[in-house]
Amino acid sequence: MSGDEINPAAVAQAVEDVQGDDRWMSQHTRFVQECKDAEPEVLFIGDSMVQLMQQYEIWRELFSPLHALNFGIGGDTTCNVLWRLQNGELDNIRPKVTVVWVGTNNHEHSAEQVAGGILAIAQLLTSRLPKTKVVVLGLLARGDGPNPLREKNAAVNGFLRSWLPRLGQAQFLDVGVGFVHSDGTISTRDMFDFLHLTAAGYRAIAKPLSDLLLQILDETPEEKRASLV
Amino acid sequence: MSSGDSNPAATPTPGVDTQGDGRWMSLHNHFVSNSKDKEPDVLFVGDSLVQLLHQFEVWRDLFSPLHALNFGVGGDATQHVLWRLSNGELAHISPKVVVLWVGTNNHGHTAEQICGGIMAIVQLIKDKLPKAYTLVLGVLPRGKMPNSLRERNAQVNKLVQEAVSSLPHASLLNVDPGLVHSDGSISHQDLYDYLHLTPQGYQAVCQPLHTHLKGLLEKQAEN
Repeated sequence: MSGDEINPAAVAQAVEDVQGDDRWMSQHTRFVQECKDAEPEVLFIGDSMVQLMQQYEIWRELFSPLHALNFGIGGDTTCNVLWRLQNGELDNIRPKVTVVWVGTNNHEHSAEQVAGGILAIAQLLTSRLPKTKVVVLGLLARGDGPNPLREKNAAVNGFLRSWLPRLGQAQFLDVGVGFVHSDGTISTRDMFDFLHLTAAGYRAIAKPLSDLLLQILDETPEEKRASLV
Repeated sequence: MSSGDSNPAATPTPGVDTQGDGRWMSLHNHFVSNSKDKEPDVLFVGDSLVQLLHQFEVWRDLFSPLHALNFGVGGDATQHVLWRLSNGELAHISPKVVVLWVGTNNHGHTAEQICGGIMAIVQLIKDKLPKAYTLVLGVLPRGKMPNSLRERNAQVNKLVQEAVSSLPHASLLNVDPGLVHSDGSISHQDLYDYLHLTPQGYQAVCQPLHTHLKGLLEKQAEN
């Protein structure tokens, strides 16, 4: 990617209230407030894939005990996440790990641009929180059968696999293994609308993710909290 | 009430695949084929508030035992539900009760138009399933603080209530468990993004709905 061109997926942008009830800004404001009250060890940030996870039992089972905060907002692109991180959602907190899951909603951008946007988020996190480890989750396949968005998301993952290790504190985790069956279909048992995960779908991705988080938190030189034992 | 031609909310319209993975049509086709070997007593149809209900424990606890099917599609407005029901989703089933919950996504439409859309769906269900009862659920308030969409949704409910009052085969049920607090705010513990219900929010909405549904089913059985 030419260094002279600006990547639109890496430009911070707030969501405009077109519907009329200002929900995006209300959620952002609430997250900024949560930063003042909480001392999270883990921060999750991204789109509805992150947001919805908190509504299922799996969150309480595996991630609440890690003192995790959830700053997911449905519909968000990399631009929106960048804006939120630059406008208060990192203030006053020092998570040991940040989990980033965003990119599937970047419909106006190419795979390379989307990956660039995600990389920009990882770079912002490591510069604002020098001690944090960043875990970037791969974009999942979507749609009932093969389609261009699956190819695009796979291409984004490909770029991330090679770019993220160069950041040192960031790593890529592919949680999408097994969702696409041999006939190319995705089951509504895993993604109820061929995009968003069911409880069973989240259970499948949460295990490898929580294992990795525990491993990272274990490596952090600090006395273990009783809740992790 | 305006005719289907002049009311976009009452004109059957399929979802458009703007994203590139054809999910709307996939879901519709999935519902049509899924209905071919089922004999539901209750059909839930509508938008994401219906769709998400299916994902939480409350569905298994309260509605599976009533032999319910769920045809909710996130983002759907009245014209989309109208299209789906006109194009196969009612073709293979004869539920006794249809629970209809839609209207909050009708952006750009007036309360009158949205009411017209809901009533068009009620009429369609009557045409296709003459013995079914349609239970329309009131559209919930949304947004953290008072806003024009709350007013619009409240007005929709008022208009629909008036429109169904003379119909023997339909009624409106207000399922708002008291979402708006005295200071006008809605809590994220009930609507996690000030639009969609949390599992806790669904519990509060669904208990009375379940009771009401059971009553309706018993009455239908008597007829």
